[in-house]
Amino acid sequence: MCGIGYYFFSNVVENLHQMELPFGFGFISSTAGFDIGWSIIPYDPTMSYGRVYLVGIVNTLILSTLIILFATLLGFVVGIIRLSQNFLLSQVARWYVECVRNIPLLIQIVFWFIVVFSTLPPPKKSYALFNIFFLNNRGFYLPSPVFETHSGWTLIGALAAMICTIILLKKSRVFRRKSGKRLPILYPALLTLFGLVAILFVSTGSPIHWAVPSLQGFNFHDGFFFPISFMAAFVSMTIYRSATIGEMVRAGIQSIDPGQIEAASAIGFSPFKTLRLIIIPQAARAILPPLINAWLTIVKESSLAVAIGFPELVSVFIQTSLNQTGRAIEIVMMVMGFYMCTSLSISFVMNRYNKRIQMREG
Amino acid sequence: MDTQHTEQSGELLKFVPRPSRPPVTITYGPAGWLKKNMFGNIWNSLLTFTVFALLFLLLKPFFEWTLIKAVWTASTRRECLAISPDGACWAGIFPWFNNLMYGLYPDALQWRVNLGFCIGFLWFVPLALKKITNKMFIALSGVTLFPFIANYLFLGGERSTFHYIVSCFALAYLLLIYGNIFLKYMGKKQFEQYIEPFTGRLYRKNTFLSAHLMILLLLTIIIAYLLGNLTLEYVSVDVWGGLFLTIIISSVSIVMALPIGIVLALGRRSEMVIIKWFSICTIELVRSVPMITVLFMSVTMLPLFFPNTMELNKLAQVLVAVCLFAGAYMAETVRGGLQAISKGQYDAAKSLGLGYWYMMIFIILPQALKAMIPNIVTSFISLFKDTTLVSIIGLFDIMLMARNIAIDKNWLGLHAEPLVAISVLFFVICYTMSQYSQRLEKKLKTNR
Repeated sequence: MCGIGYYFFSNVVENLHQMELPFGFGFISSTAGFDIGWSIIPYDPTMSYGRVYLVGIVNTLILSTLIILFATLLGFVVGIIRLSQNFLLSQVARWYVECVRNIPLLIQIVFWFIVVFSTLPPPKKSYALFNIFFLNNRGFYLPSPVFETHSGWTLIGALAAMICTIILLKKSRVFRRKSGKRLPILYPALLTLFGLVAILFVSTGSPIHWAVPSLQGFNFHDGFFFPISFMAAFVSMTIYRSATIGEMVRAGIQSIDPGQIEAASAIGFSPFKTLRLIIIPQAARAILPPLINAWLTIVKESSLAVAIGFPELVSVFIQTSLNQTGRAIEIVMMVMGFYMCTSLSISFVMNRYNKRIQMREG
Repeated sequence: MDTQHTEQSGELLKFVPRPSRPPVTITYGPAGWLKKNMFGNIWNSLLTFTVFALLFLLLKPFFEWTLIKAVWTASTRRECLAISPDGACWAGIFPWFNNLMYGLYPDALQWRVNLGFCIGFLWFVPLALKKITNKMFIALSGVTLFPFIANYLFLGGERSTFHYIVSCFALAYLLLIYGNIFLKYMGKKQFEQYIEPFTGRLYRKNTFLSAHLMILLLLTIIIAYLLGNLTLEYVSVDVWGGLFLTIIISSVSIVMALPIGIVLALGRRSEMVIIKWFSICTIELVRSVPMITVLFMSVTMLPLFFPNTMELNKLAQVLVAVCLFAGAYMAETVRGGLQAISKGQYDAAKSLGLGYWYMMIFIILPQALKAMIPNIVTSFISLFKDTTLVSIIGLFDIMLMARNIAIDKNWLGLHAEPLVAISVLFFVICYTMSQYSQRLEKKLKTNR
């Protein structure tokens, strides 16, 4: 085994020597010189490869976070519909899941990109919702908040209100555990949350407003925008994963003993209370471990957006940067390192949470 | 309370019975089923109608596009659009059908691919037959011997003597399997039992095995003699493509994944620290990165690990990557299978005095693998779907072929139809396999 290792190592050294590319990460600080289609953090071609790496990471994280959020929500809806008493509805959910699951994700991504989003009307004829959201063949435009001076106070206020509410909730829970009585917590919490923020917001002179995208010339200005490659990747992966998450939710809910639900209704729980206090806590134990896996898969899968040219990590780093610099080993190592770190940290955090909610036996 | 009337001030309490309950609603027969599942109460009925309406609104345009307004015969896309501007143009799929299936494989030689797949299919048919007993052996021979035949059929060109003999042996083995199946269904004895008296004279011990080998040897020689003059034209790997390539990549990698997975899973449970940590690192590293990075790694980084005089073909690089990837995932499946084996099995094997490898090969792995078959089918499905990723690094699999239709000058811009067509194809294949694996799972569960 050592022999094989040495053989590969010596070949690498030989090859790198011949290509005059000594191993090292010095290239990170050199100028990249190519443009990236879309990035949240400021970027221009005069910046370094390190910045390119960062842009790729941020784009990947934004894409996968949004997918995780929406796929989980949609997945729960699909899973619950799948369990509906109504035969037709549950069959619709079943065939949705089967169709989405059995077609390769890559085909779905390309389909959404080429067939759906690329054939949308041009900016001048774009679809508008309330004249705030616009969808056309360049992307999806939505308003963005603009922060002026003194807006910091409102943000600090919001943060403080949130912390207060959390403390209030914890206190009330402790009180309930001790005395068995419920404190009227809802109105004070709402008051601190909205009241404090509203007072601060008005007293500092309404420093936050929305920049609404508007058509100027051939394109939209102001506001925030997602390119169609992002939208296609987002929509297709959300749909794809919602099907798998839906199946997990269904399996999780079905794993609950029906006696539990009968017992709950026998002691007079309303259906909603049964759902909140009996079904969800028990189903969560069964759903969470596969759900964590699904989230990890989403982060990894978001790299498929490279197929439609969305500038995520694989696209900007393994494709473009590697073609320009030729530093295969370093770049592949950096990209794999990022995915490993993300996977490990998500699984670390979620496994701790998972341990907390799992049944403690003995 | 309201139903039980009692005299309040009277001396006698007069019993007034409750009104009888309404009759039980019918829950059997089609009408009962409909009432229970779709029109139970007013909200349920409303829901059913809403879903019906929505389905109608969604599916009507889809069916109009795919079937009613579709064009089936035309020579260019322009013609299609002239006939029916808002229908699907399936006419574009047919001239490309061979390319979707075989890639750029020469038309005249495509029978070789078909023949190869037929032989492969024949090899696995006995596994579904009921009377066959040595299924494990047939499956194993299929995985080890069939690739030699397939390799020669698909690739052609020069062949080494060893390769030739093994291929002939494989064919002989297949013939023998089918001969024996035929005899078994006729209710006769096996071939080996017929010639056992003769071989028994030559070699006393293990007469059945020696008869078996004797037949195989004879058949091999006959086949080698018959096919001696056969030469197949060389077809470069570069022109392989389409569904053919997709199937090759996914089946080679699932077959390779099993031994890799078993080794890694056993390594993970090993007590030797270096092997244990090597296995854990490999499994976790590969599982925590996306498949596309592993593919890019094999294309960009792997050539650096070999002397630059060595010419690597892209298919081999991709196969290495996919096998590694599938192997790491398989390792976790195998681990699950191993954990499901009760500890008593290990103890029993050890108390019989079996060593580690004997225990694993004859006691633990057969049980674990049997329980894992549904999982293996599931991972084959996901691998089969993931194989489309090789189009990103430029192999002409079915996905890239489908996208190339849109740049054919006759069918310029024909994007949706090829994608829908291959989606349907994938759906049919994957759905059948997943139903099969679910049935298998149920069957294995009841077998216990």
